[in-house]
This record gives sequence, structure tokens and C-alpha cells, in this order.
Amino acid sequence: MKMIGVCACPTGIAHTYMAQAALEKAARAKGHEIKVETQGAMGIENELSAGEIADARVVIFAVGVNVEGEERFDGKQKVTVEVGKAIENPMDIIQKAEMKGMGL
Amino acid sequence: MNIQELLSASRVKFHLMSSNKLEVINELIDVLNQDGKLLNKDKYKEAVLAREKEFSTGIGMGIAIPHAKDSSVKEASLTLGISKAGIDYEALDGSLAHIFFLIAVPAESNDVHLKVLSYISRKLMHQEIRDRLLSATTYEEILAAFND
Repeated sequence: MKMIGVCACPTGIAHTYMAQAALEKAARAKGHEIKVETQGAMGIENELSAGEIADARVVIFAVGVNVEGEERFDGKQKVTVEVGKAIENPMDIIQKAEMKGMGL
Repeated sequence: MNIQELLSASRVKFHLMSSNKLEVINELIDVLNQDGKLLNKDKYKEAVLAREKEFSTGIGMGIAIPHAKDSSVKEASLTLGISKAGIDYEALDGSLAHIFFLIAVPAESNDVHLKVLSYISRKLMHQEIRDRLLSATTYEEILAAFND
């Protein structure tokens, strides 16, 4: 399944990137394609294109602050979690995303 | 990635003495301060504690990453502390923390340093890297864990 994600945290120097790595690893372990945009102290990186957003079945927000450009994801299936949860238990979130992506 | 630029040998402590969260924060800040990286130790500590209040940086998997981006920091720098016995850092998963990265970033910091920090953060998500850090006994082994 094609998944996308956005990670952001208040300081944007550590948690954001840990969550990104954790989600990527968990999604790939389950055979999914994933691209995760980070919104941290360096601004937006690994930015999701309109095409990538359109192609994705589900978007995961692992955030402790507001998502910049949230309107880009209007109408998508969404899973929203605390950034810490994505670090602590990424597999759980990927499973939730699978369900959402399948329309369950 | 140039980790040695951010983490000098003088800021790696292989045997932390602390037994709780506040003690270990103090112990790491002392190392950072003795190395001349802080303009105002108390102000930096306040910023670190404020961040902890918002959200514990005891992120589980045996890691804690206390950090602050504040004007009390002279230069972006890392301090690494290791505790074989483990310290209760009020981790999300309730486990003891063994690897501590104290991150100090000035209010105005350049992207090169932030890039290195994000690189290290991502690396810490891998079990193999954590195992290598825990078993390291020299500064060179610490660098190698990140650079291999």
C-alpha cells in the first residue's frame, strides 16, 4: 500500500527525525511504500508532491504541533498520532494506517 | 557526516554516576559547561527542563535525548553519556535509559549542525547502532558506530 506521512515536533531537532525513521522502517517491514515529509527546525524536507499525495491511500500525521499546509491532505484518509507514539510503537500506527487505507 | 565536529572526545562520559532523571541532566550539563559550550548554564538547564515538561525525551528503547534550542548556548554541541546499569528517565515505555544524548543548539543555528542532529536522531532508531554505542569503550568506537 502507498502511504505518506508528516512528522513535526515543537523543537524540530530530534523527535521529528526519529519518528520519520521509525515509520519508514515499520512500513517497509510490512511491505508498504512510504514517504515521510519532515517539518522541523530546517523547515520542510522530503516534501510530498501533489502527485504523491494523490497516489497515497493514507496519510499519517505524527505531530506535536500543527501541520504546515494541512489543506494539501484534504479528503485523504488520515491517522493522527503524537510524535512520541510513532517513535515508541511505529508498528501499531502502520497497522492503523493499513485499516484506514483499506477503508475499514 | 561530521559527528566529531559536534561531539568531541571530552564530551563523552562512559560511566554516568547519576541515579535519576534530574541528576543525569545535571551531570551532562556540567560536562557541556566545563567544555565551554554554554553562555549561561542555569538558563540552559531551565530550557531543557521546560522541554521535558512538554514531552519527556525519554523516548524508550533505552535512549534519552534531553535537548534545548536556546540563546544560552554558545555553539551547537552534543554530550553523550552512557550508563550500563540504566537510569529511570521516566521513559514513554517505562524502560530504563542507558544512552543519553544531551543536545544543545543556539537560538540561531546553521543548517549543517541541524542536519547532523537529524542524522544522529534517525540512526538511533536502529538497534544495531544502539548496541554498538552501549558496548563502546572508546571515543573512536562511538564515532565508528555512526559512520559505518
